[in-house]
Amino acid sequence: MSALLEVNGLGKRFGGFVALEGINLAIERGDRLGLIGPNGSGKSTLVNCLTGTLRNESGSVVFDGKQLDGMVAHQRTRLGLARSFQLPKPFHTLNLVNNIRIPLLYTVNARPGTHLSEAEAETRCHELLGQVGLADKAMRLPRDLTQVEMRKMELARAVATQPRLLFADEAMAGLSPSEVEEILAVLFRLNEQGITIVLIEHIMRAVMSFSTRLVVLVAGQKIADGEPQEAIRNPQVERAYLGE
Amino acid sequence: MRNGTFWALAIVVGIVLLVVTRLVTNEYFFFAGYVVLQYIVLSTAWNILGGYTGYTNFGTAAFFALGAYTAVVLHKTTTLPIPIMMVAGGVVSGIVGLGMGYLTLRLRGVFFAIATLAMAIVVQTFIVNWDYVGGSRGIYIIRPQQAPLTGSYIEYLYSIMLIMAVISVAIARTIERSRLGLGFAAIRDDELAAEAGGVPTLRLKLIATALSGALMGMAGAPLPYYVTYLDPASSFNLAYAVNSVAMPVIGGMTSWIGPVIGAVLLGTIQQLATVTISSALNLLIVGLLLILFVIIAPNGIVGLVRSRRRARSAAAVPAPQPATREAA
Repeated sequence: MSALLEVNGLGKRFGGFVALEGINLAIERGDRLGLIGPNGSGKSTLVNCLTGTLRNESGSVVFDGKQLDGMVAHQRTRLGLARSFQLPKPFHTLNLVNNIRIPLLYTVNARPGTHLSEAEAETRCHELLGQVGLADKAMRLPRDLTQVEMRKMELARAVATQPRLLFADEAMAGLSPSEVEEILAVLFRLNEQGITIVLIEHIMRAVMSFSTRLVVLVAGQKIADGEPQEAIRNPQVERAYLGE
Repeated sequence: MRNGTFWALAIVVGIVLLVVTRLVTNEYFFFAGYVVLQYIVLSTAWNILGGYTGYTNFGTAAFFALGAYTAVVLHKTTTLPIPIMMVAGGVVSGIVGLGMGYLTLRLRGVFFAIATLAMAIVVQTFIVNWDYVGGSRGIYIIRPQQAPLTGSYIEYLYSIMLIMAVISVAIARTIERSRLGLGFAAIRDDELAAEAGGVPTLRLKLIATALSGALMGMAGAPLPYYVTYLDPASSFNLAYAVNSVAMPVIGGMTSWIGPVIGAVLLGTIQQLATVTISSALNLLIVGLLLILFVIIAPNGIVGLVRSRRRARSAAAVPAPQPATREAA
């Protein structure tokens, strides 16, 4: 069986700036992939290209045997690619239940063969919020949440789409060590449920404990890909992070 | 409010207004009432795009006038009754709304607003140079001698607009509570996150512009019969655009009742001011009220009431989180 996601020769430019060049990547089902790289190395741009927020100029992306090129973001979401945003983007005028309800109504119910009734959707919303420990805030607005709760809601909203592949884009940035552990626990649990996860993160301790495989981007190019301990010992990676 | 209650109330309000007007002997009441009802339709229509999806449209006058001029063309070529003309006006404005949406919805915020204003000027220029509908001179419309139903002709127009107001409010309310309304709200709050959640944002925005434009066109179709003399300067008047923005802002943009409250309040004040003070004072009142509300109640009257309620329930039941900022 081919890989879940296959990226071939992906490239993205912003004017004269080459953000990504010749990225090849294959993500296997069930992987816990860590994606690291210095600021501005193109990690978020890669996620944006893969999830359809940005259009890549060159290369192709195949997800579960389907060509994604030219597909807009919501179509990719419906195929099973979900993401959380680096800066949480809650629907700030809607309470938490309705925040979760949107992916249920527009993604899960948009898939052929599935239809959640109103009551089922309501139950599912509360279940998903319960999974990330936000059950008691279900009727609150996002502005009543703390940073870590906001990240959890962001994850719950991505998980609501019933994805097969989840990109967690810096889901832990700015959190305290114990909060990082909380988010990691959520991610481990999702992976056990069968969701392939790509973790984009700066906190090395979190990445190293989570990932079964590590990909390193530097200046828009992939310079290392493999077993985490080996990848960080790669001389090119050391140079990028620590200098000559 | 439950669905049943809403419908019962809507029908009761409609019937009461219709019956009460039978007791009114002064025709002026119908003239004034027509304008207020027309603004309920316009501000409700504006709110579908502006309030629900968050795209500010300054081109209300264009959609409204297109409806009116569709009626003019039909008046000259056919003998169709006004309700049919309204449907035709709605179709024309709806199609223009769809086209405008397709061309401009890539723009956000203030750029979209500017584009709609520009569109209004383009449409006005087109009408000014179209001699068949009177061009810049304007055109006289002679009303049929008798109203199709009982009563005077103005009473007939008033009744039509009353029904139209009830229909448009019902549409807005239905949307608000549907999957579509939730999708609109997602677009308003964050378009990228909406797409990531599977919301087909472009399609939903096109639905909003087409529907909003169509309702404005329907409100405009009876206008030639109301004024009996239609010219571009008055039918494309900026007052329509300003009022249809101001009324939802003052009433509250997140709920169907907001535009209704705003239109009744502002429309009535304007009518009173026209009679008692001067007709030129209208926009000054709108401007002052708008400034006042933007400062003291940015979420309109509905927002003001809601935050009061929230504060009260937060005080009654000590929540794990401190009282919200809104309450402060």
